Amino acid sequence: MKQEQANLYEGMYILNAHIDDATRQKVFEKIKADVVKHGGEVVKIHDMKKRALMYQIGPHREGHYYLMYFKAMPSKINEMWREYRLNENIIRFMTMRAENVLEELKFQQLTEQ
Amino acid sequence: MSFSSSKQTSYRRKTSVDPLDPKTRKKKRCPFAQANFKTIDYKDIDTLQKFITERGKILPRRITGVSVYYQRRLVAAIKRARYMALLPFVSTI
Repeated sequence: MKQEQANLYEGMYILNAHIDDATRQKVFEKIKADVVKHGGEVVKIHDMKKRALMYQIGPHREGHYYLMYFKAMPSKINEMWREYRLNENIIRFMTMRAENVLEELKFQQLTEQ
Repeated sequence: MSFSSSKQTSYRRKTSVDPLDPKTRKKKRCPFAQANFKTIDYKDIDTLQKFITERGKILPRRITGVSVYYQRRLVAAIKRARYMALLPFVSTI
């Protein structure tokens, strides 16, 4: 049997923007705690602040975005997703394999032609 | 003489510059290749927005001049951004 290796992931979460700061913090703490609970490790967190959703998701027109880089076992990702789905304050989430951690949310610019 | 001559001759006439003649006008270069992009990130909305119409549709590469390599990555990035509601699927003008 091959030993399972932890991968680096990036997760983006849209949280309900209409709950107060303390509750939202608690929801995000729960997300972080889930990673640790499944034997992972949180690497970096970006708070992308509140922004308008480009289309309505259910009753929501705006959301509070978070970006989190974390290390976890591939088999645990599904279990984390199950917990995200049960949480009604998480409007939407996406988890992807990441190559490297973005220290700042700055991107390369296109050269003007 | 730009429109008339047969395909072969207009192809060879590289010195004349006619903006309407597809054979002689300046060739578009891939903007991503020129800026030496490693990857196209779905979070980089400012860049992605340049490659969609105001309706939210992805622009074809024959218009933008993006290379096949980057167009594939661009399309994937735009679709990810759409799922996360960073870009619209459709937007009304």
